Amino acid sequence: MKKLRLAYVRFTSCCGCQLTLLNCEEQLAAIDEVAEVVYFDMASSRPDDGGPLDAVLVEGSISRPEELVELLRLRRRAEILVAVGACALTGGVNVLAGGDRIALCEGVYGECAREKLTFPQQPLCRFVRVDLQIAGCPPERSEHLRLLGALARGGLPALSEYAVCMECRQRENLCLLLEAQQPCLGPVTRAGCNALCPSFGAICEGCRGPVTEANRSEESRLLLGLGLSERQVRARMERFSGVTHEDH
Amino acid sequence: MKTISLQPLTRVEGHGRVEMTVQAGRLAAVRLVITESPRLFEGLLIGRSWQEVPALVSRICAICSGVHRVAAASALESALGLDIPPVARRVRELLLLGGHIESHALHLFCLTLPDLAGTESILELLRSGDGRAREGLALKALGNHIQELAGGRVIHPVNVEVGGVVRLPVREKLEALLAELEEWSGRLPPLVEVFADRRGYPPATAALGTRIAVDCDDFLLTGRSLGFSDGRVIAGERYREVLEERPVPWSNTKHSRTAGAPLLAGALARLENAAGRASAPVLPELSAAGIHGNNLAQGLELLWALREVRHLVRELLAGDVDAAVMAAVRPGAGVGTCVIEAPRGLLIHHYALDDQGRVAAADILTPTAINQAAIEAQLLADLQGVTDETTLTDRAGRIVRAYDPCISCSVHVLKGR
Repeated sequence: MKKLRLAYVRFTSCCGCQLTLLNCEEQLAAIDEVAEVVYFDMASSRPDDGGPLDAVLVEGSISRPEELVELLRLRRRAEILVAVGACALTGGVNVLAGGDRIALCEGVYGECAREKLTFPQQPLCRFVRVDLQIAGCPPERSEHLRLLGALARGGLPALSEYAVCMECRQRENLCLLLEAQQPCLGPVTRAGCNALCPSFGAICEGCRGPVTEANRSEESRLLLGLGLSERQVRARMERFSGVTHEDH
Repeated sequence: MKTISLQPLTRVEGHGRVEMTVQAGRLAAVRLVITESPRLFEGLLIGRSWQEVPALVSRICAICSGVHRVAAASALESALGLDIPPVARRVRELLLLGGHIESHALHLFCLTLPDLAGTESILELLRSGDGRAREGLALKALGNHIQELAGGRVIHPVNVEVGGVVRLPVREKLEALLAELEEWSGRLPPLVEVFADRRGYPPATAALGTRIAVDCDDFLLTGRSLGFSDGRVIAGERYREVLEERPVPWSNTKHSRTAGAPLLAGALARLENAAGRASAPVLPELSAAGIHGNNLAQGLELLWALREVRHLVRELLAGDVDAAVMAAVRPGAGVGTCVIEAPRGLLIHHYALDDQGRVAAADILTPTAINQAAIEAQLLADLQGVTDETTLTDRAGRIVRAYDPCISCSVHVLKGR
C-alpha cells in the first residue's frame, strides 16, 4: 500500500486536536507505517517539502491574513481537507467574545495593537471546500484513528448522525437530565464520543456542537424546568454552536 | 547587518520564530516573535457567570487544560470565600500530577529526545526500535490515564467545578492504577538518566533570570505565596506589585519582568527555589548545562510526581466513599487569586466578581509569557561566538525548546488591570 502523504496543520486554537493525535501513544508507530507525515510542526522538525498532499488535517480557526493565505495554499495542495475540532468547524469558544475587538486589542497591547492585524475567528468552511468535519473540543483519539485508517484505504469515515443521548442509552447510564435533574446537553449534541462525560458522571457540555434537527425548544424547556434562568440556558446552549453566518 | 530567522519553531506547542541580528560577525540582538493570534479570552469572560469560567478558560491551552481549570476554580472559590471538601482537593491534586507527568513526558520524549538522538521526530526513533521512545510514550500514557481517572477526560477535563469536584474516581480503577504505579517505580529512574548526561546538550552559559515559583513549606504545585530566588516571598494576591508586564511590538505575548530583570519559571526554577526542603527533588550539579538543565529538573520531577501519585491514590482508597465532594456555593461579589505551578512554570489566575457572581475583571498570567524576556536574553548569551548559520538556528531551536514553551497559553490575552 502506498503511504498516505499527510499534514496536520494548526491555526488559531488551543492545540487540543493535535495533542489528541499525540495521545494515541500506542498507535503512533502504526500511524507511521501507513502515513508519511509531511508536516506536523508540533511533533516534527521535518521541513515541509511543499509537494502535493493526499490529505491535510486542519485544527483551529482563521483569524489572521497569513492563516487565510496558508489555508488557501493547503486547499490547492491537498486532495482531501479535513476540518478537525470545534475551532475549525465553528470558530470554537472564542467566537463568544463580544465587544469591540479593536478596543480590546488596544486595551491589551496599547500602542502596539495596530501592528497586530487579526480578525474575529472564522470557521474553515467560510473560505474553502471542506471534505469532512470531525467535531469535538477536542475530538476523541478513536476518531483520529478511524479517520487515518479510512484515509489510508482511500475513503472517509462515516460520521454519527445522531445525539450523544443515543450512545449514553446504549451504555445504560443513569440519565443525568431526567433522573439526576442536571442540565445535560446530551439530547441536542452530535454523537461520536461514546457519551464520554455522562458515562463519567458529568453532564454533556455540548462540545461536539448541535446534532442535525436538534429539538432545541424541548431541551430549553427541560433546562428552564430545572430552575436555570433564560440567560443561563442560552449561555449553555451557545457555548459550542458558533455563530450563524449568512453565507452558510 | 544581517537577520537570520528560525522559522517555524518546531517541536514546541504553538507558532513563533526566532530572529537573530548579526552585526560585524557578532550576534547583536535576538527576538522571539510569537505570531500566534490573540484569542481575547477577556472579552469572552466579562459579564459571564462564575459557573461558566472553568470550562471556558481550560480552552486557553490543551496541554495545560487541567491546571487552568483548577486555577480558575480555586481563584473563584477564594473570591466567594469557599472552602472545598478535603477529598475534592485530593482529586484535584491527582489531576494536576497526572497533567505534570503527561506534559513532562511529552516534552522530554516526544519533543527533546529527538535532539539528543539527532532525528527530526519521535517517529524515526520508534521506527528504529528505540526503547527510550517507546517507554517515554508509555509514561505519557500513564499521565493521561491518571488525568482521565481524576478529570473525566484527558483534555479539557470535566470533573472540576467551583466548589469541588463532580465525583470521586472509580475505586477499582484506582486499585488497578496503584498496581501500575508500583511497576513504574523501577522502570522510571533509568528512563530519565539520558537527560542527566551533560554530553547530550550544546555549550551553554548559566541559566538567566530571577527564579520565580509558588512558595510553600515543602514542595508542592499549589500554595499561597510567590517565592523569588533573590529571597523575596510575597502573598500570591500581590503578584501585580512585583511582576511588570509590557507589550512589545514584535510579539503577540507581553514581556514580564521583576525589578527590571527577566524572570525564569519552570521545573529548574522550582527545584532551585525549593532546595533543601524535605520532599523537594535534589538537583545535582549539572556542570554548565545552563537552561538545558531544565530537562533534568523535569526528569527529577517525574520521579517525585510518581511518588506523590502513589501516596494520593492510597489516601483516596483509604477515604470514605460517601464523603462530600462539593461545597455549597453562594454566589456574590469578591476578588480572588490563585497561584499554581503548571508543568512549564508559574500560572496565575485572578478574578473579580460583581454582586451577582458575574465576572467583572479577569487577569491570567502564564508561564511562557513570564519566561519570554529570559528566553531572548538566554539566546543572546548562549549563542555569542556562533557564526555558522545552521548551527545558530539549530541551537536557537534547542534553547527555546528547553523552556518547554506553551505558546497558545501565552497569547490567550487578558487585559492587565
